[in-house]
Amino acid sequence: MRLRDYLFENDIAAIGGRRSRAAAVAGNQYVIAIVRVVLGAVFIYAALQKIGKPLMFADEIRMYHVLERGPLLYTVAIALPWIELFCGLSLLAGVFLRGTALILAALNAVFLAMITWRTVGVMNAEGTPLMKIYFDCGCGFGATYAWKKLIEDSAFILMAAAIYFSPAFRFTPARRWKG
Amino acid sequence: MNRFKCAILQAAVVAVVGTAAAFIYNTFSGNGINPFRKIVDVPVVEDVKPDEPAEAAPEAIRVIDLQRFAGVVDSGRVVIDARTAADYREGHVPGAILLDYYEFGRHIASVTPYLDFESEIAIYCSGPMCEDSELLAKELFAMGYFRILVYRGGFEGWEEAGMPVERGDRERNHTGSGET
Repeated sequence: MRLRDYLFENDIAAIGGRRSRAAAVAGNQYVIAIVRVVLGAVFIYAALQKIGKPLMFADEIRMYHVLERGPLLYTVAIALPWIELFCGLSLLAGVFLRGTALILAALNAVFLAMITWRTVGVMNAEGTPLMKIYFDCGCGFGATYAWKKLIEDSAFILMAAAIYFSPAFRFTPARRWKG
Repeated sequence: MNRFKCAILQAAVVAVVGTAAAFIYNTFSGNGINPFRKIVDVPVVEDVKPDEPAEAAPEAIRVIDLQRFAGVVDSGRVVIDARTAADYREGHVPGAILLDYYEFGRHIASVTPYLDFESEIAIYCSGPMCEDSELLAKELFAMGYFRILVYRGGFEGWEEAGMPVERGDRERNHTGSGET
């Protein structure tokens, strides 16, 4: 298998014959396309809020008490917004889709764990009920209720999984490169 | 075709390209930071006594109260506002120089001409809950400015105490023509 096939993997044959499963698959592919646009737009927006502000983003990450000031924290603060940006652009452009879905699922799993950790910390320390915990998670969307963020990140993981497990993709440039 | 293998390869490409772009941008953006720069873990201590020389608390950032801070402001020593430009325009301590901690890389070069290694530099941010003044103090300390004072009350404390407030942008205040 050639490198190009790995990178632009898009086994259009997996979608099935047009006559047999066309309607169901086409419907599914439209849903996947919408998921790609939504997820892509969300991550591009989030990235643009953080790009060029590494100290601010580093501080927001520090609020989770997972990384302290040092090379690892600053490297994450510099690189993560750009990785989010490229993921968003990839989803919209229709390239590297499964890889991008994998990155976004992994990133959101980490975000979910960190927000859960911080939320539980606030609940234990201040006795605040879950529904009233409100903070800026550093995600690029400002302060919000923790429970909303937990639902949001869970939804992003499901959306990324839907992309990853899609049998193939329409609305991508890869079809032209096949053959 | 091995779906997972493809995904890993694609993910690696996106991550590597994204990281490379990030570091290139960080280098040329003007507000970039060196992730491997020396991190100064300098202690932050309460000021020993008012008017005590800096040698009383060597190698430390000293936290000062309102009275001491007002003395620094009156004496004309350098006072740095670590908040955003918008906050600064709305009102700041008279004579304070703007150096937004989050825009440190972009603005430090324009602020250093006002700083003196031998003189005390007082820093404040929004209020008692913000830590930007301390973080900025550590950045300056790493540059060799060892006589740093932090006023934890911040602009909130200053304003609540009924102290004078200056309004206007940075350039006007640098030339001493800020509106009070």
